[in-house]
Amino acid sequence: MQIAEPLLRAIEELSKLPGIGRKTAQRLALHVLKSKDEDVSKLVNSLLELKTKLHYCSKCFNLAEGDLCEICMNTKRDQKLICIVEEASDVIAIEKTNEYNGIYHVIGGTLSPLSGIGPEDLKIKELLKRFENETIEEVILALNADTEGEATSLYLARLVKPLVTRVTRIARGLPIGGDLEFADEATIGRAMLSRNLL
Amino acid sequence: MILSSLNLKNFRSHKDTNLKFSDKLNFIIGGNGQGKTTVLESIYYLCTTKSNCSKSDLEVVSFNETGFELNGIFNDLTESKIRIYYSALENKKYYYRDSKLISRSADIIGKFPIVILTPSDHSITQGAPSERRKFIDSIISQASENYLRTIIDYGRTLRQRSSLLFQIKDNRNKNIFSELDAWTEKLVESGLIIINYRKNFAADFIKFIVASYKIIMGETEVPTLRYSFLENYGGSDFKVEFFRLLDLKRNEELRRSTNLVGPHRDEILFEINNMSLKTYGSQGQHKTFQVVLRFAEFFYLKEVMGVVPLFLLDDIFGELDTKRSLKISEYLRELGQTFITMTDLTNLSFMKKNDNDKYITLNSGAVAYG
Ligand SMILES: [Zn+2]
Repeated sequence: MQIAEPLLRAIEELSKLPGIGRKTAQRLALHVLKSKDEDVSKLVNSLLELKTKLHYCSKCFNLAEGDLCEICMNTKRDQKLICIVEEASDVIAIEKTNEYNGIYHVIGGTLSPLSGIGPEDLKIKELLKRFENETIEEVILALNADTEGEATSLYLARLVKPLVTRVTRIARGLPIGGDLEFADEATIGRAMLSRNLL
Repeated sequence: MILSSLNLKNFRSHKDTNLKFSDKLNFIIGGNGQGKTTVLESIYYLCTTKSNCSKSDLEVVSFNETGFELNGIFNDLTESKIRIYYSALENKKYYYRDSKLISRSADIIGKFPIVILTPSDHSITQGAPSERRKFIDSIISQASENYLRTIIDYGRTLRQRSSLLFQIKDNRNKNIFSELDAWTEKLVESGLIIINYRKNFAADFIKFIVASYKIIMGETEVPTLRYSFLENYGGSDFKVEFFRLLDLKRNEELRRSTNLVGPHRDEILFEINNMSLKTYGSQGQHKTFQVVLRFAEFFYLKEVMGVVPLFLLDDIFGELDTKRSLKISEYLRELGQTFITMTDLTNLSFMKKNDNDKYITLNSGAVAYG
């Protein structure tokens, strides 16, 4: 069977995406072929923009359009208060509650000896550097309330306690095993307000 | 809570069995292999989504079938229809409550409290300490969702921490040590929640054991339950002691890559007249104690949950003498809805008949009442 070279190449590239098999890639490629030129341009440009315009904030590792994210650039936010979260999606979840006016640090996961993830695999060195360069007074640990999230909070609390005046952990209002990302806004809002001193 | 009817499809030897129950005592009678114990297992499934004796759902499916289905109607103030469907092809279990698919097991566990007494209960008084921890954990978990979550969380903490201990043994470095401190703190945090729950439970539960023991055995013997934690600690500052023991055992923990301190090493001790049941108990005393523990569980759950649990008794009269059997059969009248399996009615000759009871005979797939 002979398949036109451009189609073959498109299928090849699409099937590299996670969760896309050969068959789906072929269906997607044929769909693109049938689509209007302007729709295809929109798709291509949105992907290119995603890659060229969006990356990780050099300070807090949240998603950013420039070198720094919107939150780090916003001078109205309380720069003395820092909230540590696992993923950029947690920043979105907390921002939606409108209960928080400080800044963030995204560490990119949790400690998990079983999966071979240690402190050096998380943005912890970068976090400690920030305490040297910025005047942070209070730390809020807002990691997920699951086993690994709690252990990571305890680890971070040990590290930052000597560096700031106050360390709090958000109250166990979040369902265990339920990600911050999926908890409803009211719950996260409540959890942010009632924090426990460590 | 009353189970008024039950249908079993392709569940072990039951191709398609329909049963109607009394809200008092239900005697399920049948010879070996007629599937009477399986009826209890299916009721346990409906209440907990799991088997009480089999680890895999597949094992329960009738030979040459692709799945099983159970339908039960429960009556409380309102009626609830519970349906469990297991597909062997997908290896997936579906749990429906009034046609609504339920996916979180926490939404089911504890909603339909149940107590089951089976011959395998001998391991509770005669087996390893882990059997006794499992026994009290299953009771506290039915009464407290928070306890169940903490038990799961603690188990995961143990696995993570022993994995880290192993890594440190492999390759010592300072950074990993501060990581171990964090996991140790996590272990203590969850561990203390468990210890406090168990301590309060033990203090409450003993009253129920004493009361049941008195009814079945008379007043000559006094049973006790002792909860031993943190190496038999008797003081009041659990947290300090927990950390002290961890400190003491640190090198040994590293050498063996094992968690050596915490509630996963707790012991629950049963005694009669201050003598260890495990060491000095006769076969008869063990059997009686096992029965007493389940009755105590029943009355405990009834009190703390405010709902009358279902009580399942699998073949209990076989090993007991007539005097104790008589006491127990009188005691059964004080329960709620109860299901009792037996091979024939000879063991019941001493029991007063009651019009509300149901006698259900299973024979080669046929069901007869009366
Ligand atoms: Zn930023």
